Amino acid sequence: MTIVSAFLVPGSPLPHLRPDVDSWRQFKVAMENVGEKLRASKPDVVLIYSTQWFAVLDEIWLTRHRSLDVHVDENWHEFGELPYDIHTDVDLANACIESCRAAGVNARGADYESFPIDTGTIVACNALKVGTPELPVVVASNNLYDNQAATEKLAALAVACISEKGKRIAVIGVGGLSGSVFTTAVDPVEDRVVKKVEDDCNKKILSLMESGNIQALREALNSYAKEARAEMGFKHFHWLLGALDGHFKGAIVHHYGAIYGSGAAVVEFSI
Amino acid sequence: MANGEIISGFIAPHPPHLVYGENPPQNEPKSTGGWEQLRWAYERARASIEELKPDVLLVHSPHWITSVGHHFIGVDHLQGRSVDPIFPNLFRFDYSINFDVELSEACCEEGRKAGLVTKMMRNPRFRPDYGTITTLHMIRPQWDIPVVSISANNTPYYLSMEEGLGEMDALGKATREAILKSGKRAVLLASNTLSHWHFHEEPVPPEDMSKEHPKNKIGYDWDMRMIELMRQGRMDEVFQLLPQFIEEAFAEVKSGAFTWMHAAMQYPNLPAQLHGYGTVIGTGNAVVEWNLVKAGLARMAGKAA
Repeated sequence: MTIVSAFLVPGSPLPHLRPDVDSWRQFKVAMENVGEKLRASKPDVVLIYSTQWFAVLDEIWLTRHRSLDVHVDENWHEFGELPYDIHTDVDLANACIESCRAAGVNARGADYESFPIDTGTIVACNALKVGTPELPVVVASNNLYDNQAATEKLAALAVACISEKGKRIAVIGVGGLSGSVFTTAVDPVEDRVVKKVEDDCNKKILSLMESGNIQALREALNSYAKEARAEMGFKHFHWLLGALDGHFKGAIVHHYGAIYGSGAAVVEFSI
Repeated sequence: MANGEIISGFIAPHPPHLVYGENPPQNEPKSTGGWEQLRWAYERARASIEELKPDVLLVHSPHWITSVGHHFIGVDHLQGRSVDPIFPNLFRFDYSINFDVELSEACCEEGRKAGLVTKMMRNPRFRPDYGTITTLHMIRPQWDIPVVSISANNTPYYLSMEEGLGEMDALGKATREAILKSGKRAVLLASNTLSHWHFHEEPVPPEDMSKEHPKNKIGYDWDMRMIELMRQGRMDEVFQLLPQFIEEAFAEVKSGAFTWMHAAMQYPNLPAQLHGYGTVIGTGNAVVEWNLVKAGLARMAGKAA
């Protein structure tokens, strides 16, 4: 098994920009904790998919060796900046591009100064302390026209490609759970999952992850994506399923809660 | 100061291909041209701007997406490099933009008074979206007119189209109030493509115009139908058809800029001037102007009210 660890983490910047808000800080702490577990699994590379990196024409992979910049979130600019310094395993990213093309998936690299790396990738790298010179990343975009099945295939393709190089892989899906948010200003202290039905759906899907009952989980995923208005159809979880070849034994939910009305969780999968 | 007014409004689409095709010094990638029909359309729009001599340009872009409220850039100046996340091979642009913070704040406040959630963007390290930059460059490459930059609140997608476009209507009316009170002569820019069906492969080179044409017939037919109504000044019909147009042509006007602009202009049933139409990776793009000075609804520069 070349996958050595797998995690689902939220891509919102709020836990990182506003750690003074207790409920949001718990996400940051949970992400830092699973970062330790990730590094303890001794991967050679971390394979990341973030719902917030949109692609449209083709599948874009980050191929810049070092991405060093300061990011300001388009929604939460008043809370400050997110500096980042992300190191990519360019050889592996290019191998994934070639593998995509061989499979008939249009793909290309992004190796440009000031390329706008998305908030989700940045907060995942910073909180989990990956994308370092010692532990580089391979980052794939979210092609908006890809469905859940295509996303699973993409992840499987990347894992197969990197495995061929003899590398140990940690995999991360970056994105939230239920998608409804508060659309007016709310006091962060009052934050909660905005719709009870979505809260219930989130808890049910997390419970199925914990159980490791993949068949039941798969049966629930379609209705979950609709009823919970799951972020991007929950493609970041399908990315994990594809990477894990559809198998994991169970999961530990390190934290579940609300981020401005949406549901979010930090989940570690037992593989 | 009072007697401000809106002197013109443009549909001013933002495909970065147009900047790439023009080869301005600010853009790192270089081309051998391409998309001339649309770039010539913008030349005609530029001539109109030169004649109008506005004090300020207001731009509403679908690529600054905000989930809580309508945001306005509230810093005097921003500069840096903008790289298009979708077409980084075409658009890596060094921008330097001056903002009319006074008017931005007034728009924000009028929006708040109208019951909208509004917010000023004060972070000096904020990077404007490429849609805003492309529209501004194509309409005024001298970059010598201050700007009000407005985000696209995502209510048309998050709630319903009707609710979302209702928000944009209220935003437009609030923008109008702010402009009237400012004493400034303003041009509005709706940074929107029309039909938005597109190809999923880019030709090599990207400016190979033998590969450029409408993605599908339904999108093209809708574009022609709507443009013809605009040219005839039948704007009531345009707005009656807008939801169907958005649905069937996947039109980017859903994001709200078009409604915002016309609400600010009080939905004039004026014949539009079509500066030109063309496709970009199959999407339909038109540069269209409603010139309120020519229509006798606004002053020429230097003329008292």
